[in-house]
Amino acid sequence: MENIIVQASGLKKSYKMSKTNIVKALDGVDIEIHEGDFSAIVGPSGCGKSTLMHILGLLDRPDEGKIMIGGDDMSNLKDREAHKIRAKKIGFIFQGFNLIPTLTALENVILAGKYGGMSVSARRRRAKELMEMVGLSDRMNHKPYELSGGQQQRVAIARALMNDPAIILADEPTGELDTKTSLEIMEMLKKLNKENKKTFLIVTHNPEVADSCKKVIHLKDGKNTK
Amino acid sequence: MEILRNMWRRKFRTFLTIFGIVIGIFAFTVMGSMALKLNKMIDGGKRYITGQITISPKGAGAEALSGATGGTLPVDTLNKIAQVDGVKAVAAGIGLLLEEPDPDNPSSGGVSMGPPPSIMGMDSKSDFQNVNWTTLDMKEGKMIDKSTADNEVAVGYSIAADKKIKAGDTMKIRGRDFKVIGILDKTMTGPDSYVMMQMTPARELFVESNPFLKSLKEKADSAAAISESELNKLSPASREQIIQAKSFKMEDISTSASVSWKDGYDSDTVSNNIKDKFNKEVSVLSPKKMGEEIDKASAMINSIIFGSALLALVVGLFSIVNTMVMSISERTKEIGIKKALGASNGSIAWEYTLEAGVIGLLGGLIGGGLGMLTAWLLNLKMAEKGAEIFLVSPSFFTQVLIFSFAIGIVAGVIPAMRAAKLRVVEAIREL
Repeated sequence: MENIIVQASGLKKSYKMSKTNIVKALDGVDIEIHEGDFSAIVGPSGCGKSTLMHILGLLDRPDEGKIMIGGDDMSNLKDREAHKIRAKKIGFIFQGFNLIPTLTALENVILAGKYGGMSVSARRRRAKELMEMVGLSDRMNHKPYELSGGQQQRVAIARALMNDPAIILADEPTGELDTKTSLEIMEMLKKLNKENKKTFLIVTHNPEVADSCKKVIHLKDGKNTK
Repeated sequence: MEILRNMWRRKFRTFLTIFGIVIGIFAFTVMGSMALKLNKMIDGGKRYITGQITISPKGAGAEALSGATGGTLPVDTLNKIAQVDGVKAVAAGIGLLLEEPDPDNPSSGGVSMGPPPSIMGMDSKSDFQNVNWTTLDMKEGKMIDKSTADNEVAVGYSIAADKKIKAGDTMKIRGRDFKVIGILDKTMTGPDSYVMMQMTPARELFVESNPFLKSLKEKADSAAAISESELNKLSPASREQIIQAKSFKMEDISTSASVSWKDGYDSDTVSNNIKDKFNKEVSVLSPKKMGEEIDKASAMINSIIFGSALLALVVGLFSIVNTMVMSISERTKEIGIKKALGASNGSIAWEYTLEAGVIGLLGGLIGGGLGMLTAWLLNLKMAEKGAEIFLVSPSFFTQVLIFSFAIGIVAGVIPAMRAAKLRVVEAIREL
């Protein structure tokens, strides 16, 4: 049995939109991610996919429920500690790429290493390696707006890998890409999973993306459905 | 590096913000340099005034120091003051303006700070010495002393610079030729604009300049020509007049006197001793009281100058706050990304605080630099007239830089804290 990377149970989260309108984004979700998993969270929009991912990525906190990452209980984690876990154990890939526009592609990757506490020379070396790995060694000094969507997402993948995290959370990683580029990106993620044993949790509403995942977690109205 | 790139993103806004700081710092630097110079001059004057007890004719008050008033101190009174308990020595002095004031154009001397160019008659025969100013350094030549002839003068630094006078030159003062035997070194205060000479010529010039004294002297001169025997022949009324005229003595003409005190005596006590006995005849300026008065005046000048400059800076400060609040709301998403990547609140806060600090520092560098340059150029121009009004000091510039950086930091702290406290999820969601 592989190690459990993320384990969450009974996650509840509601948003108070107004005094009378309280939206239950999560209503008792259980989830378990093992090392080397390539899983997808699927469901219609508004089912709480993104909220779940934010909570698992320690960007947000649940109202109720328990989260364990790498065997450590994160439920009572202080904000001051959360950023360290985010930096070292979790990698993010966003739908909108979310690169820093003033930094070059390489610097965007380096930045993650800075937050992860790597030394200046180690950051640079590793960032270059990763840029090469995602096939962008000739685009390292370009600014994000000089890159295509697919290229930007590859920079984001390199950035997510920078601190060698235990899990990479990808929120609609192909949401803003055309079909061909989407396939390329998915192939890259799968390859990373297969060859580098990286654990992925991908949030998507794209059935094709979900089909390519080994494990699919279905969400509806803030609850697990299968 | 990233900070500069972030600032460059909104060039115009950054420029405007920095420009605001530049104006504030510029005003601060220029006015500060002026205040520094003023303080230096006041300090020099204070050192002089607190180094002696200054006696002036009753009614003339402190203005007598500039030698512009009419009252005089009779020599008999000064001799009596010399006998007061605690008094070590008394030196008579004459002060009058170097140039005859032009009634049609009272400010013809140009704008200048500090005392106007003046003639100072010095009682070189007296044993008096100012406690704080024992000697004046000479740039060239020598100072007035006992052996100096009546037609010789020592010239202050600014006057020498203004009139391009060297030691050995001849200088025309109020129609009379004087030989320059020395030029004083720069003191940054009073003596820079003095011409020093013996009492006799100073008294003569003073009498010349005063129509009342002039007529008295003429009468005395003509009365002196009348012999005793001739006098006895006159009617009692005119005899009385002539005797009175004869009593006029040049020695009685002094516009001020400086008193030193014996060792072991307190200057205030000695001042009071003189005051007790001669309250009706002379005004006595005690060193301690004068020191306090000067301190009060300079504190007021300083607070006005620095107060107004600070006002300009506060405006600049708020413009930084405004800019930072705007940049942060523009970059909300970026902050969210950085936090998702694992940036701590502290590192986000530090990043933005530093950016504000750099804006402040750039403003300080440009504004302070321009201010220093302006002060320096104006000084250069005024130096020809020997009337520098700024003190251009590198250490002040350094202080201005540190200060402007600090202003930026202060302005940046609150917006930066706000940035650090942004909730990641909300920040990322924003598109």
